[in-house]
Amino acid sequence: MKKFTALITASMLALTMLSGCGSDSTADSASGEASAPAESVNVAIAQFAPHGSLDNCVEGFKLGMEEAGYVEGENVTYDLQNAQADMANANQIAQSMAAAKPDLICGVATPMAQACYNAANGEIPVIYTAVTDPVAAELANEDGSSVGNVTGTSDKLAVDAQLEMIRKFMPDAKKIGILYTTSEANSVSAVEEYKELAPNYDFEIVDSGISQTSDIPLAAADLASKVDCISNLTDNTVVSSLATLLDAAEKAGIPVFGSEIEQVEKGCVATEGLDYIALGKQTGAMAARVLAGEKAQDIPYETITEYSLYINSEALSALGMSCPDELKSEATEASAAE
Amino acid sequence: MALVLSVFEQGFIYSILALGIYITYKILDFPDLSVDSSFPLGAAVSAVMIKAGVNPYITLPAAFLAGGMAGLATGIIHVKFKVRDLLSGIITMTMLYSINLHITGGQANIPIFSDDTIFKLSPIRDKAGAFNTVIVIFVITLLCKIIMDLYLNTKSGYLLRAVGDNETVVTSLAKDKGTVKIVGLIIANALVALAGSVMCQQQRFFDISMGTGTIVIGLASVIIGTNVFGKLSFLKATTAVIIGSVIYKACVAIAITCGMAAIDMKLITGALFLVILIISSVKKGGAD
Repeated sequence: MKKFTALITASMLALTMLSGCGSDSTADSASGEASAPAESVNVAIAQFAPHGSLDNCVEGFKLGMEEAGYVEGENVTYDLQNAQADMANANQIAQSMAAAKPDLICGVATPMAQACYNAANGEIPVIYTAVTDPVAAELANEDGSSVGNVTGTSDKLAVDAQLEMIRKFMPDAKKIGILYTTSEANSVSAVEEYKELAPNYDFEIVDSGISQTSDIPLAAADLASKVDCISNLTDNTVVSSLATLLDAAEKAGIPVFGSEIEQVEKGCVATEGLDYIALGKQTGAMAARVLAGEKAQDIPYETITEYSLYINSEALSALGMSCPDELKSEATEASAAE
Repeated sequence: MALVLSVFEQGFIYSILALGIYITYKILDFPDLSVDSSFPLGAAVSAVMIKAGVNPYITLPAAFLAGGMAGLATGIIHVKFKVRDLLSGIITMTMLYSINLHITGGQANIPIFSDDTIFKLSPIRDKAGAFNTVIVIFVITLLCKIIMDLYLNTKSGYLLRAVGDNETVVTSLAKDKGTVKIVGLIIANALVALAGSVMCQQQRFFDISMGTGTIVIGLASVIIGTNVFGKLSFLKATTAVIIGSVIYKACVAIAITCGMAAIDMKLITGALFLVILIISSVKKGGAD
């Protein structure tokens, strides 16, 4: 009996600690429940890891919301949390957010989107972004329709366009190297797609799988010595250590192609790729539609349909390369200097 | 209320693995790092079996057995090949990463949103409503605790405790201390993998990175539990560990909900632990 009392006391203690803290956020959300655009709404944004592309997604998301009339500080309050790439945290953040009953939850990157969808339990609409393959993540059906109170945008890479672009830049190249993390579902599927499409452009893919950041220096140096160029994915771990990869490629005298504008700004030579701010904007616009009353369930997930060519002339000339004439007209300069 | 429920859900799930870490860290004095991979091992086994249409309740003993094998590997590396304790855990953890990916057929993430889980098939699902998940998890945790309490009072359990306290006693009883250590590691990792299985079904997806930092959560739960509640003689150590795990998750929840900047979350969590440990050591009349 005593033991039981002790347990109860302990749980009560935990209860009071929590309710003392969580009360203000629940109070806010109650007032925002009627989600007419004029009234203030609460939106929770859960980001999986601190990293440039995902930060851009969140920035774009807010811009997209703003364009639809939801201005931060005026009629929308954001609760932004970052799981610091820790799954245990991701899960708990998603659950705490769902507990505060916001009007909408935005999950950034695949594991976070899944955790949010699970925690929201169909009661709160979930909008995801930066999920490469929503079908494989079971957030969408094969036909693109939603599996529940959830929808969003995919950051699927334009692999075909990227290969075509690399061929134009390097007419004689044979081997493309790809460095990726074996634990990232998005990267695994992208590598598969590269391998499938590479023969169409007469390329051979040399992939190198790592499991953590500390593997990158060795793996990058090894890969750079074996290939004619490197094509970089949106792999969270590799992108966080992009400088290391660029360094290894520079020593080997080969170019690194990126997969989004931010990577080109950091020193990749070119990309036929994504602009995460635009992706975030598109997501924000979808969120606004849901807040205005549309059902997330009825909105199929969206992909970026227009990819653009970004180049870094400085990085190109350092390698004695230049942008092919046929691409010059469509290329946008994206070096950090500007 | 939902937040409190989630703290108990998470706390109870992690307390299953904390019970395992209690065996290695507190009883055997063995810093076993293999748990960072045996946690996702249990989840991988469960997700793959569930995808294959196996009854989710069968995945629990299956994950338990798989974890036991991971513990056996660490034990053999340490006892038979005389590799240092810390390193033998690291070796198992490293190799298991690849094995886990082999189990899933190379997939780093397996969602089971549309499949049956122990929670979906729970017999009390309709009656319990929102409490279904926490009750199911609590029952599993309670079973683990009761079985472990009973086991620690058997002859084998006594030997286990003796190895951590005084190895000579075990040797003088003509028992092989190495075997006892292996048994301890098997039970510990089996519990950790079981927690992984429950976690995977609660969050409804497996991700290869879900084991990162497991050892830290487990150790913190064990230390908070035994430091704060261990001196209360009417509380069994296993109960203290479970409470410790719930407190750990409560600290994280506070750090999340208190509206601090996202980047400060870990700082707040750490500071809360420090406060708890300082208060408990003051109560006891100074640190030991």
